[in-house]
Amino acid sequence: MRLLIDIAIALLIATVLGVATAWYAVENGRLFGAVHMPPWTAWPESGGPDADPYAVAYLARSGELPLGAGEGLAFLTFDDSAGEALDGDCTYFVTGQTPPARLWTLTAYNRAGQLMRNVAGRYGFHSRELLRQEDGSLNIVLSADVQPGDWLPVARGAKLMLVLRLYDTPLTTATEFVDLDMPRIAKGECR
Amino acid sequence: MSVRRTIFSIIGGLLLAGIIHIGVVFMVPYYAVQDAWGRVERLGRAGQFHRIASSEAGAEPLPMLDPAMLHAVCRFSTEDGPVRISATLPDEFWSVAIFDRRGRNIYSLNNRSVEHTQLDLAILTPVQMAQLRQDPPESLETAVVVEVDLDQGFVLLRLLVPDETQMAQSVAAMETADCSGEL
Repeated sequence: MRLLIDIAIALLIATVLGVATAWYAVENGRLFGAVHMPPWTAWPESGGPDADPYAVAYLARSGELPLGAGEGLAFLTFDDSAGEALDGDCTYFVTGQTPPARLWTLTAYNRAGQLMRNVAGRYGFHSRELLRQEDGSLNIVLSADVQPGDWLPVARGAKLMLVLRLYDTPLTTATEFVDLDMPRIAKGECR
Repeated sequence: MSVRRTIFSIIGGLLLAGIIHIGVVFMVPYYAVQDAWGRVERLGRAGQFHRIASSEAGAEPLPMLDPAMLHAVCRFSTEDGPVRISATLPDEFWSVAIFDRRGRNIYSLNNRSVEHTQLDLAILTPVQMAQLRQDPPESLETAVVVEVDLDQGFVLLRLLVPDETQMAQSVAAMETADCSGEL
């Protein structure tokens, strides 16, 4: 009888451990194949035919439609270049250059991946509608308050996610990701 | 209670946890209701392109779509023969992607790889490809031919709308998208 109780306890622990770790792995997104260009991260394989089982499970839960190799590559970040979480109470400056691409878009979401309501009705910028600096670099300002120039509205108090989607880019067939020019995100003033 | 038995119990327990873990991860897609396929199914019947309403805050028909793009999706089956996709799209960035039942992006191309504004794509299974090689129809020479091992899937069109003034003509262009044609 003691043995049976031991086995039952062991089974229970094994089940809880197995299910909990599986759930955590699937919920928290893509574990493998991440390309880090801080603060940006991309998962070139996770939406494609060679996606690992965790990525497939993640796709099944999120319902998103990933970009394919013939379309482009999406980079994502929750943090600024200093590694601190993007916060809607602060102003951020997205500056610098992007890797080569025929077209790119920068979209602001909240941490849950949802577009945020704002008075300008603007959720992002694409590369052709930006006011560039003299050297061709960007200066996009993220803020809950109206800003001059390329203002990308965000919701006050929300934690943010930025997605940089590069379309028709040689990066989709790249085997190495080194020395890429990625935009920097610098924090300005916070409320 | 010997130490050895305890160690064996722990190892056994971890192995079992591992098996359960793997099992759960593999089973998740089969029980998913909010996966891409389920959402696309709810947009309308197969064999026809359905334009996805533009994403706005609080009204996103599908998650994480690029709000700068228009999207249209067509569920297809290869069981009745090859699938022909056509559309007359403007000279803006556009792309086509083929997704499988699990929502994986199996094949994609954009308008630069195609060199014209007319999209003409043929989707065939390997068996259909072998059959057609014996007596290829003329249309295969002009179309982009893609061989995929799928019984069913869906095609997604993405089109850049540079600004609001272009919305009307972009929508009209998406309306020309057709997935019911034959070779």
